[in-house]
Amino acid sequence: MANANIGPATEYTCGASLMARYEVKVGSLTVVIDDELLYTESDEWISVDGDTATVGITDYAQKKLKDIVGVELPEPGDHVSRGDSVAVVESIKAAADVYAPLTGEITEVNEELYDAPELINQDPYGKGWLFKIKMEKKGELDNLLNHEEYVEKIKKES
Amino acid sequence: MSQARPVPLKNIHEELSASFGEFAGWEVPMMYTSTIEEHLAVRKDAGVFDISHMGRVIVRGSDALELLERLYTKKISKTKPMFMSGPTLALNEYARVKDDEMLYRVSDEEWLFVPNAAVTKTMISYLESKAKEYGLRVEVEDLTDKYAMLALQGPNAVEYLSKIAGREVVDLKPLEFILGASIAGVDTFLVSRSGWTGEDGFEIWAEPSKAGKILRELVGLGVKPVGIAARDTLRIEMGFVLGGHEYGEDPMKYPCALSLRYGLGAIDWDKTGFVGEPALRACRKEGVRWIRIGFVMKKKHARFIPRESYRITVEGIDVGWVTSGTYSPIRKRGLGMGYIDVRYAIIDEPITIVDHRGREGVAKIQEFPLIHK
Repeated sequence: MANANIGPATEYTCGASLMARYEVKVGSLTVVIDDELLYTESDEWISVDGDTATVGITDYAQKKLKDIVGVELPEPGDHVSRGDSVAVVESIKAAADVYAPLTGEITEVNEELYDAPELINQDPYGKGWLFKIKMEKKGELDNLLNHEEYVEKIKKES
Repeated sequence: MSQARPVPLKNIHEELSASFGEFAGWEVPMMYTSTIEEHLAVRKDAGVFDISHMGRVIVRGSDALELLERLYTKKISKTKPMFMSGPTLALNEYARVKDDEMLYRVSDEEWLFVPNAAVTKTMISYLESKAKEYGLRVEVEDLTDKYAMLALQGPNAVEYLSKIAGREVVDLKPLEFILGASIAGVDTFLVSRSGWTGEDGFEIWAEPSKAGKILRELVGLGVKPVGIAARDTLRIEMGFVLGGHEYGEDPMKYPCALSLRYGLGAIDWDKTGFVGEPALRACRKEGVRWIRIGFVMKKKHARFIPRESYRITVEGIDVGWVTSGTYSPIRKRGLGMGYIDVRYAIIDEPITIVDHRGREGVAKIQEFPLIHK
């Protein structure tokens, strides 16, 4: 069971009894998982709203990279295919590629990150989002991992 | 990781929530809270590093000085007793650098040195085999496992240390050292006024349990524990070289020692008879092709982080390569160092750094240190 070692909830959605985020121990890291997001094998998260997908890197990815000091983002209007390397997140430790999890057109990028890339460390699922894609092939969503599958993936890595 | 040897104070680092990584076969504390915060603590206040992964070696015997003179590029005999020599180079016969070191003169017949972690064993067997080859009476002893080593670094290092150490320690002059001094109520083996960050500070050798006590006391006083990741960012800002990056023994991979532009009086040209001298002089006669330079990313590419093995180009021509690079928490930009064809080594001129993906960032060639000191 993926949920076996899941820790206590840290955040509750207002009014609802649903747990939105929870913590998982992965090696020496305590990683926050959001159960409403989809994930990739390469540690991106995706939030879907109609035809638009917002993409960022997971809490696990930012904790592995640590001090994030720079980003390179695609241009709005760029057409990207699933699996393309479309952005780079630079930490003191390493430069990490970010892959397009879906095919479509980039509609917006988080320009705030150019001056404040540390937002990815501080709020990976919120202010640290990277770019938005207008999806062309909604069927590709089936290839993404749900939160339980993602927890299994990162546990296997540690 | 399973093969790496943990540093002796690992349990304390775990208590301090360090994340660990491998460095030269050792499991070392890479970071505690944030490399940027730790870096800034060393520049603005003080930080303490566990550098037990470095080698600790004693060279003794009636011919000890003779052996060292034959192996290093600096006149070792000029070192005052109870002082460190200042950095110098051990070369191979291609005038490539085996290691850069400071030699601690206890007496003519007793010297200490701290080899880089990756070459501790190599340097010990090198000294032993050279002593044998030259027929010199020298004994080399590896003290690495006997003592742990801490570095207290930062503009407020003296202030912190004076709370747990006497004047004989706090008043050490730069590169001076003392044996057997007491810190935090425990005996140390050695304390020196030295370091590798560009800041004032001290390096302390003590038995692991005693070093642990000193480390706890310093942290209790508010000194920030600093990981090996910040040690690297600090040395890159200063332009300090590291074996395996700026220098190494392989002549196909590294230019000759002269190209390293080590400075700090590491080479005495009026000295003769040391290993590598013929090749070093040949290199000097012929002139160097490559020269080590520092560079800082231009404002527009401030967040482009140069890294080892990225290419350096000018007008689209390949003219060099990056040997070390990082993000500078002080300049808030990427910066680094590398080798460049001497014809393009013009201070203040722009160069282009190209990563493996083909991304480009523009930097300016700058003299060391790369921060204003």
